[in-house]
Amino acid sequence: MLKKFSPLLISLSLFATNGLGDELPIKIEGAWVQAVPRAAEATAAYMTVYNTGQKPIQLTGGSSPIATKIEPMVTTREIQNGHQVMGMETVTGLQIAPGETLVLKPGGNHLMIMNLTSHPKEGEQVKLTIHFDSGNETIDLEVPVYKRDPK
Amino acid sequence: MSKTLSTPSGDRLAESRTARIGWRVYVTVGSVLFALLCAFILTRYTTYRKVQEKFYGQALVPAKDAFDFHLIDQNGKLFQLSQLHGKLVLFSFGFTHCPNICPTTLSDLSKIYRALPEKDQGKMQVLFISVDPQRDRPEILKEYVPYFDASFVGLTGNSDQIAETAKAYGASYEIVHTPGEDPDVYFVNHSTYIYLINPDGKWQLIYNFDQLRDTEKIVADIERIHVVK
Repeated sequence: MLKKFSPLLISLSLFATNGLGDELPIKIEGAWVQAVPRAAEATAAYMTVYNTGQKPIQLTGGSSPIATKIEPMVTTREIQNGHQVMGMETVTGLQIAPGETLVLKPGGNHLMIMNLTSHPKEGEQVKLTIHFDSGNETIDLEVPVYKRDPK
Repeated sequence: MSKTLSTPSGDRLAESRTARIGWRVYVTVGSVLFALLCAFILTRYTTYRKVQEKFYGQALVPAKDAFDFHLIDQNGKLFQLSQLHGKLVLFSFGFTHCPNICPTTLSDLSKIYRALPEKDQGKMQVLFISVDPQRDRPEILKEYVPYFDASFVGLTGNSDQIAETAKAYGASYEIVHTPGEDPDVYFVNHSTYIYLINPDGKWQLIYNFDQLRDTEKIVADIERIHVVK
């Protein structure tokens, strides 16, 4: 559903960064983007998001100059014939309760960066804006690009 | 000879000398044999211990004959598993539109490969088998797979060959379309195991996705397979 509104969200985020002066009660740590080859059309962003406020918050997506679409994804793990099968599902948002932490990591939930327009290399930095709630709450980040995050 | 034998004293002397020599020979030969036996038991025991030690990966006991898949490699050439006989093979299933699991798996495999001593790198091959043959043409795989390590090889095939290969290793995959989206835009949910084929062409171990991060433990498994062999 979010997909249809993403152009709107991006434009709204311009206003949001001009700001209402309210600081979002959110702390983001350890954000990074997976380096992928030119043949890849998608990659992922990972990070730990803390909700330091009193109200629940939803991470609803993002935007970046390297792609046209960034959406939250839930990784599913189910057993088929005794073997685990992993998949993903698009969600409109990932909820973070007050005082709670959302961990986005390889093999788990992540922000999927789709329709890549450029392929940043390991060691480069990428501009990434994270969208919360209605989408007019945003946080701008500059995140490193790794093939695999340092353990 | 006959003269010596005719002398009774000489006879006794010869007899006792033979007895003494015989005794020494028996002791010497006996000790040597005993030492050899001990050494043999010790070596067998050490090997036995190495075999018995638990692998980090889940072991197939006994190891199965690995299904000899016939696929197409990233250069568009026919490729079958048995052409790697004598090498240790690690492979996984995936697709290049995969944002999360596949780049992570290939990055982990490249860490493992680079952590191996050079002599063992030459005795090993990493393969990535596409479960999205419709989009993953050889030329796409050629750009994608060697990005993680120049020695890695991507494989594709027709949908029957891929299905047959996945089935032989107990892997599943399923194409998932997003309602209302372009039919060419889809995800592939898939098994995320890593399969280890030993140099004898036997499927010996299986790793799950989360284990792959433990580079040292997997390197230890690989080195042990080479030693025990």
